[in-house]
Amino acid sequence: MKTRTTRQEGERSMSTSTTEMAADPSARRGRLRLDGVRKVLGGKEVVSAVDLETEPGEFLTLLGPSGCGKTTTLNMVAGHLSADGGVIEVDGTDVTGTPPHRRSMGMVFQSYALFPHMTIADNVAFGLRMRKVPAAARRRQVEEVLEMAGLEGMAGRHPRQLSGGQQQRAALARALVIQPDLLLLDEPFSNLDAQLRVRLREEVVALQRRIGTTTILVTHDQEEALAVSDRIAVMADGVIHQLDRPREIYLRPATDFVAQFIGEVNALDGTATGGDTCEVAGARVGATPVGDPPAPGACVRVYVRPEVVRVQTGGDGLTGTVRETRFLGSRIRCVVATGAGDVTAALPFDARVPAEGEEVTCAWRPSDASLATR
Amino acid sequence: MTRLTRALGTVFAVLVGLFLIAPVAVTVASSLTTTSYVTFPPQGITLRWYAEVFGKPEFLSSFVLSAGVALAAAAISAVVGLAGGLAIHRYRFPGRGALEAVLSSAFAVPTIVLGIGLLQWFAQMGLASSPLTLLLAHLVLTVPYAVRLVLAGLAGLDRSAEKAAAGLGAPPFLVFWHVTLPAVRGALVGGAFFAFITSFDDLTVALFVVTTDLQTLPVRIFNYMQYDYDPTVTAIGTLMVLFAVVAVVVIERFVGVARLFGADTDHK
Repeated sequence: MKTRTTRQEGERSMSTSTTEMAADPSARRGRLRLDGVRKVLGGKEVVSAVDLETEPGEFLTLLGPSGCGKTTTLNMVAGHLSADGGVIEVDGTDVTGTPPHRRSMGMVFQSYALFPHMTIADNVAFGLRMRKVPAAARRRQVEEVLEMAGLEGMAGRHPRQLSGGQQQRAALARALVIQPDLLLLDEPFSNLDAQLRVRLREEVVALQRRIGTTTILVTHDQEEALAVSDRIAVMADGVIHQLDRPREIYLRPATDFVAQFIGEVNALDGTATGGDTCEVAGARVGATPVGDPPAPGACVRVYVRPEVVRVQTGGDGLTGTVRETRFLGSRIRCVVATGAGDVTAALPFDARVPAEGEEVTCAWRPSDASLATR
Repeated sequence: MTRLTRALGTVFAVLVGLFLIAPVAVTVASSLTTTSYVTFPPQGITLRWYAEVFGKPEFLSSFVLSAGVALAAAAISAVVGLAGGLAIHRYRFPGRGALEAVLSSAFAVPTIVLGIGLLQWFAQMGLASSPLTLLLAHLVLTVPYAVRLVLAGLAGLDRSAEKAAAGLGAPPFLVFWHVTLPAVRGALVGGAFFAFITSFDDLTVALFVVTTDLQTLPVRIFNYMQYDYDPTVTAIGTLMVLFAVVAVVVIERFVGVARLFGADTDHK
């Protein structure tokens, strides 16, 4: 199956031509708001007081490890699970108690979830049939959306005759043809092999940008989240740890969890000295505070990614001794033993590589690191 | 594979086929004999015994009883099987484990034990022998099959498909109608088919439940053979085979027998 997936994918991709599906930006809808949404399952609170608000047309990702409550949250948005507390609003209308079939949300699942006994055309037409769209209009819209999904000629086939990528495109077409207020994507790329996953996700982003449907993606893949999202909500243990743009999430993690979950990080303990500075192992370093700047004297932690650390001789920064350097191809990994512990730097390919044992200074731009109280 | 092993395989397949078909062939052939006792190979050819069958109204009424009870058993098994299967598959309720255990162990109870038990049970309840008691007895045999088949069908259904349908605007009944039901359609037809055959063929349980006025076809044949072993019984047997063939053809026409037994035939 896996090999077939790659081979049969063919040359077609989602068309980028403008169709009727392209929404008028001024009429954009799909503002989702969650206010203190909770869910208890099996005596355990799996989602605790989640607050969230999207802009119309935004691509927002719920990112977190399995069991963090992201899928539960999505299912509450879709109406498949009832919320045990809080309010879910779409464009100002409270939909908390509305059953799923009365919410206008297209959902795409990891398992594709196509109806196996129906042809692709019938699958896509399902939502239109439920909306009692007349047959002629239905046929036209199905044809249109299948073309947009790069599935021309597949209309008469059954789901099992399609590759994984094609099935997921059909599922996407089925969700979009009803012009939903929200597009909900539940790990939609996880069943696809690596190459296809990246390609399909790029296509989905392009399509989403074009038609402007507010989209909520659930994923555990941090690279995927960084690549596609306007904003990312990082979740763990039922709460949102940080909600921000990908760049901020990556460079300025707000909590230990966010810092550790996404990539590699240097976490350095120190004492706040007011504003965006603090003292780490006797050195004065800068970092952007998470929220209000911590009061001077407060115990703080600085998160700094290896990619933003410069290793230089002299100058301001954290001093230490180079312990090891490793050539990793695209980057050079350099570990510096400092008074605050090891600091890892991922140096660019063309940087000067310090010798092991050399005395160096680690520095970074304050805007590229975060400062959190601990 | 060498030519020899392939040849041996073919021979083996033919032998198995012959072994399965031989008793039926003997029954059919001997129903045509002109002798007044059952013999094989038949001597001469006559349809006299078929005329005998149709000349005995008790056989016809037994057939009507058997077919009626079997049809009812098939229909009720399908409905109860669907409901039971959905309940066990979807919901956590007190007694769920017990229900499932009882339904699975029903296969293990010898039908004769079941017959004795039902005889006692119906007597205790003061239920006089009737087509209804017969039907109840057969349902004990057939419902577990139907539930099992529905459970197997539901296991193959992706719950996400139901969520997708709901999200696309289908209220619960239409989700059930368009997504859930098609997934268990084969199981339901299969369950009904098994129920019909089980009920129609049953002799053991029926022997305990019937009276002299109320005899299913197998019981009628059984009783008849104890006193008159003439080719009438083989003629009836042949008619039953014919009936089964027609049933299989009809089902094949509408569902496909292979699919009934879970074979994957959708790869075109």
